[in-house]
Amino acid sequence: MANALDQAVETAAAQKDAAVPVEGDGGASAPATPDTPAPQSKTPPPDAAPAQEASGATQATPVKDTSGEKPGEKPAPAKAKAKATGIPVAERNGPQAPLDAAQFPPVELNGRYMIYPSMALPELDSPQAMAYSVEDRREPGRQLFALICKPGLPVRTSLMRELKSQSIQGMIPMADFGPVLWSPIDQTAVAIVFDRPLGGRFLDTFGDRPPRVNEYELGKLILEPVAHAISELQAIDFAHRAIRLDHLFFMDKERRELVVGECLSSPPGYDQPVIYEPLDRAYAMPSGRGYGMSYDDMYALGIMTVFALLGNNPVARLGDDEMLAAKAEFGSYQCLCGNERIPMALIEPIRGLLSDEEFERWNMEALDQWLNGQKKTPIQRRPATKPKTAFKFGGREHMTTRSVAHAFSKNVPEAVKIIKNGKLEQWINSSLGETVLADTITGIIATCKVSEGSPDGSDDILVAKVCIRLDPHAPIRYKNFSFLPDGFGAALAVEYLRKGNFQIPGEILARDLLSFWVAAQEHRTPDLTSHERTFQTLRGFAKINEMGYGMERCLYELNRSLPCQSEILRTTHVDHIDDFITSLDQVADHVDTRSRPMDKHIAAFVATHFKYDIAPHLKALSDSKEETSLIGLLSLYALIQWRMKVPTLFGLSSWLGGLLAPAIGTYHSRTTRRTIEQEIPALVRQGSLPELFDLIDNAERRHIDTTDFEEAQVAFAHAEEEIESTVGEGVDQNKAALQVGERVTATIAIILSMIATTVIIFVQTM
Amino acid sequence: MAMPQQPSQTPDERRKRGRSYLTWFLIVFAFLLVLAGPTVVVFGLGMLPTLVAFFIDRTKQKSNSLCVGSINFIGVFPYIMDLWSGINDFNASLIIIGDIFNLLVMYSAAAFGWFLFLTMPSIISSFVIVLQQRKVAQLRGEQKDLIDEWGAEVAAIVEVQKMEKKEQHMEQGMEGMETPF
Repeated sequence: MANALDQAVETAAAQKDAAVPVEGDGGASAPATPDTPAPQSKTPPPDAAPAQEASGATQATPVKDTSGEKPGEKPAPAKAKAKATGIPVAERNGPQAPLDAAQFPPVELNGRYMIYPSMALPELDSPQAMAYSVEDRREPGRQLFALICKPGLPVRTSLMRELKSQSIQGMIPMADFGPVLWSPIDQTAVAIVFDRPLGGRFLDTFGDRPPRVNEYELGKLILEPVAHAISELQAIDFAHRAIRLDHLFFMDKERRELVVGECLSSPPGYDQPVIYEPLDRAYAMPSGRGYGMSYDDMYALGIMTVFALLGNNPVARLGDDEMLAAKAEFGSYQCLCGNERIPMALIEPIRGLLSDEEFERWNMEALDQWLNGQKKTPIQRRPATKPKTAFKFGGREHMTTRSVAHAFSKNVPEAVKIIKNGKLEQWINSSLGETVLADTITGIIATCKVSEGSPDGSDDILVAKVCIRLDPHAPIRYKNFSFLPDGFGAALAVEYLRKGNFQIPGEILARDLLSFWVAAQEHRTPDLTSHERTFQTLRGFAKINEMGYGMERCLYELNRSLPCQSEILRTTHVDHIDDFITSLDQVADHVDTRSRPMDKHIAAFVATHFKYDIAPHLKALSDSKEETSLIGLLSLYALIQWRMKVPTLFGLSSWLGGLLAPAIGTYHSRTTRRTIEQEIPALVRQGSLPELFDLIDNAERRHIDTTDFEEAQVAFAHAEEEIESTVGEGVDQNKAALQVGERVTATIAIILSMIATTVIIFVQTM
Repeated sequence: MAMPQQPSQTPDERRKRGRSYLTWFLIVFAFLLVLAGPTVVVFGLGMLPTLVAFFIDRTKQKSNSLCVGSINFIGVFPYIMDLWSGINDFNASLIIIGDIFNLLVMYSAAAFGWFLFLTMPSIISSFVIVLQQRKVAQLRGEQKDLIDEWGAEVAAIVEVQKMEKKEQHMEQGMEGMETPF
């Protein structure tokens, strides 16, 4: 019995429109036969890569070899690369020079898996992670591979935890994950171990031929397993967000079991070529596309189905901007399949999956029904409101407000001119007849004019707000930073990784663009309210310029699985508070201990992940007085050690013990200071921060010190008064002494007189 | 803290007060003369050096007068006792004061009092100065110990007090300037 792919390909070959990818076939078969020539507009020439300059995905720099990557190198989303078929493929790392096994010994993961840096598997690489051979110590024969993720890039840890406890049918099985010290880059990175797909990558089986699958086998071969994966992920409240044709694998050598690849090594949708994303998410930059929902996976499945059915990308000749404009104008289905010969049986599912309206798009139930042979009511396409005249901007004619908004966001200076001279309102009024929208735009212009000169009235804000009003479902687009609310966290993380600052996201929070975006939505959903509340909280954090707050706090609040980005913890991977204090203890031996074991990232990470109230500690930590800040630092770490029940922290105790001089200086008494200084080494040897803190900031000792100091001050003042009265300024000591002498003499004389008188009386009366 | 200033006495007030003192003195003197005339005569004449010392005494607490008076009284008291234990009339008192030897005893005592007052204070003041210097040294030592134990900030309160004094002084000065004449 032939395998599923062979069957599919055989059928396709019978139709004479597909090559035959057979295992071991070197790809000698010819591509599409001249019998069914693709329209010139559909099949691009072999060297015609899609125009990508304008898309968010393509603005990024190409991905570099992870193993040769220097620490701190910024990750970039995968650049979509098209083959001769025009089907965009997320670019992966190319072949790399083999590493010396002696220099780079295997790395152990969770005491079970040995990952071999010298045995790379480039054919299994993901766009943001490189694949290596793995040996399972418990099951030596098991076929596994590991992906080493780019350090610092937010990975989907919460989904990894779910996948560790349950497997998802239709998705490549994950065996384990965890941080490892990856010797080639001398940094800690997340390693994810998967079962190895023995049949290889789906696209690779076709070689250079179009990856065409016939209509009869498409459902069984691709739709069913991918739908299973989407369905099971939906059941645990996750979306895959990396469903694309070049990301399908065969788990078995016979190529019967097709699975969709991993989606864990990068933020959701990060590596997806723009065409796979629904319109609203496609407008966002790769890191800002958001978690998404199963609807987004269904859309990607629809796109993948079209590619597999046709064996090429029918809109490959179009650049991303043109493709998006066409999708906006004609709808995704019409844009992709309008000029194609789609088999009757597949028209409805493809139309359903590619619906641009989420509420119309086929869900799992609808797809299941179709796969089981039940028919669904065809979706009636509603014709888009066409303007009387096109809107000319940026050398192109735009037929939809979506397209105009997208073009505006790409060229702010020109957009400002057009907005301010009233041409946009005129077009909306006269061509679209949408007076309400025109009035709203007028209002935005007026508001910005009132705030002219201030950041709230800047051109960027004006254009961002106008774009939101023109296309409320599209992402927030500000200074080339575009994101949907659920993608702000990942966008923030990637922005920080690339630029090392939070300038633009900070401005977005300060200008409260999200509230404007929420207000622009037609329907208020619980999700919107939740987003609005979250962003209000984030604004609050961002405004506070203290340790534990600021944009760093926003970063960790939105990216709970993001490892701490502190320079101090650069060589480690700390993504959980349980590991934080021990990791800090470990790095204590390798850092400059004259610096403090604290920075804004550590404070924000702890504030985010530590469940106990540490507001007073953070307040003290942010104090301008060094000694107060140090006591705050020590108290915070002591609290963490105590709450986490970590018995000893020798490195950190020693580190902090060496920094405590200013804190000891808060005691007035030199004797107390000396006593404390003498006791510190003993407590450092115990590795106990709570005891160290008790020594430094003992309430009773401090009270005694304060009271005694006050008494000493009074004693000093009294002594001074006495000295002043004796030898002070304006006092004639000789004269005063003479006066004393006179008084004493007079006293002596009086006493003598009294004695003599008594004696005389006594003698006389005797 | 500056003490509140005593209101200055006008010459009229001073004169009135002097008259008042004289009146009281004459009343008491007349009363004593009636009650113990002979004693008053012997006491008055015997204590004349003390009266002189009182008038020329420039010390604040009248130490000179006290000193001379006390010793002078030792020279006078035996004769008063003679009066009290023997015939206590004016004749007896005149006999006592008529005896040059008696007067010599009384005035010699007063002279000894003067001698004491002229010699003793300077000797005592030398001791006092030495004692004061020792006391100051001891207080400075205590202050140094306090600074060694508590740091220079223990002396801050003294500086604060000095500043307060200066400020208060300045404020009072300003108030004085603002007072209309």
